[in-house]
Amino acid sequence: MDYARFVALRRPLWDSFERDATAARRRDFSYAEVEELALRYRQVLHDHAWARARFPGTGAAQRLHRLAVLGGTVLQREDEERFSIVRFFFERFPAAVRASVPWIGVAVALFLVSGLLGWAVAVYEPGVAVATLGPDRVEDLRRGHLWTESLTTTVPPSISSSFIATNNMSVALTAWAGGALAGLGSLWVAIFNGFLLGAIFGVTARFSMAGELGEFVVAHGLLELTLILVCAGAGLGIGAALLRAGDLPRSVTVPRAAREALVVLFGCLPWFLLLGMVEAFLSPSPHLAFHWKLLLGFALEICFLTPIALGLLRQPVPAWPLEGTP
Amino acid sequence: MNHDDLSPELGTVLSLDNVPVELPLARVGSRVLAGLIDYILLLFVLLVWSVGMLSLSGWLGLRPGWGIGFWVLGAFALDYGYFAVQEIVFDGRTVGKRVFGLRVVARDGAAAGNGALLVRNLVRSIDVIFGVLLMALDPLARRLGDRLAGTLVVHQRQSHEELVVARLPSGWGTAETQLVESYLRRARELEPAARLELGRRLERLVDERAPGFLPGAPGPDPLPRLWNGFRQERG
Repeated sequence: MDYARFVALRRPLWDSFERDATAARRRDFSYAEVEELALRYRQVLHDHAWARARFPGTGAAQRLHRLAVLGGTVLQREDEERFSIVRFFFERFPAAVRASVPWIGVAVALFLVSGLLGWAVAVYEPGVAVATLGPDRVEDLRRGHLWTESLTTTVPPSISSSFIATNNMSVALTAWAGGALAGLGSLWVAIFNGFLLGAIFGVTARFSMAGELGEFVVAHGLLELTLILVCAGAGLGIGAALLRAGDLPRSVTVPRAAREALVVLFGCLPWFLLLGMVEAFLSPSPHLAFHWKLLLGFALEICFLTPIALGLLRQPVPAWPLEGTP
Repeated sequence: MNHDDLSPELGTVLSLDNVPVELPLARVGSRVLAGLIDYILLLFVLLVWSVGMLSLSGWLGLRPGWGIGFWVLGAFALDYGYFAVQEIVFDGRTVGKRVFGLRVVARDGAAAGNGALLVRNLVRSIDVIFGVLLMALDPLARRLGDRLAGTLVVHQRQSHEELVVARLPSGWGTAETQLVESYLRRARELEPAARLELGRRLERLVDERAPGFLPGAPGPDPLPRLWNGFRQERG
């Protein structure tokens, strides 16, 4: 068949396929319509293969190539399950956290070790106080005041709660996305935050104010740190997928690991909004007794951990090094 | 199509019935320009959000603190959500990508899923630093987010006049067909002198090889004669 005849015979099919495939982006097609469009896509693909072999570089070959790519993006979609918020928070999220438990363990261990180190350095090296908190805050501590008091006196809690929530979400996102740098970003967030918190408690201990700081952080701090370390653990999972060679190519394993880590991240982010309000409204409040703050802190932690713990009971944590996980 | 169908050849996927389709990958230049448009637009949207929030909090009689609080949350959501939400809603396209005819697709040429589109945009803060270099070095022009999400960015232009030839002299091959198509497609964009010069040479070639194929006799402008000869189907 010569070129002109090929174009004359097949052009109506190409025109109708292009028209319907473009329309399929804008409205939902019925099953029968999709099936019929897929049949025409098959014919377009065969024409594409034929034109590429017989008439390379011609207008028909160019158009068929464009239609072949168009058909792929219209008729084929990555497998995705239907989203349900209940199923997400009670099944998908706990399962994804469960798969990341060993990496979360690594993040927690690094956080604790660096926290102890920060505490020791701050206690035994006075210069660290100024470097960590700044001269003004150290001066406040000397006068027996915690800098956290200014949270309610200088800025309305409605503003500080938003700033706190977005700042903490940024830290969690950094911990998560840092996994893309072979896990180094996630490690940095776990170690840096551990060291900083340890150093701050060390400094306040030197000025006999650690109890006051503890009272301030107890309501929100436990869950806040948990969330950041869970996100760092998810990030480490991405880093491990990037580094570790396995049976499947990385073009398959890395996206899988990233999707699981995404579930962990999105399960954590909403909590930061709640914690922002707790930190701005309740934590600095002198009217709320310490035991109530302590109770609130543990209650929040239990609310977060319960679905995960229930999932853990149903299915044991995979053996190190994450055999059978994405 | 699934991951097992991936061809070892870079940028080529095996579609239905194992027909290979080469994906028209977008390279660093068009992607950076598209990104630039989007970032400028994001700044504009942030500005609109700021002014809108200010007016709205005044109109609703909110205390200033609450207005600023909502503004901070909105700005954060815009910063992280601008690209991802657009790509999810508009099938892998943002405004910048639309301008340059680009689309995000899965590694196998299918439409990218919502999860993949979220993943590729959540590492944007790192890609702002390393992305351009990674795209320039990678044969598939992937930035870090694309590697994590398993996505590619391809050119997907709107349809334009590709089929300009309805009949050809018998025995003409692909090279001659390309020559005629290229001339007829670009004739209106060529400089008048170049259009005439190229047209006359093509007209001479056709008259020599296929006498009588072009209708009528040569005139001062060869384009109408060539156009009528190659475009009009005759019974």
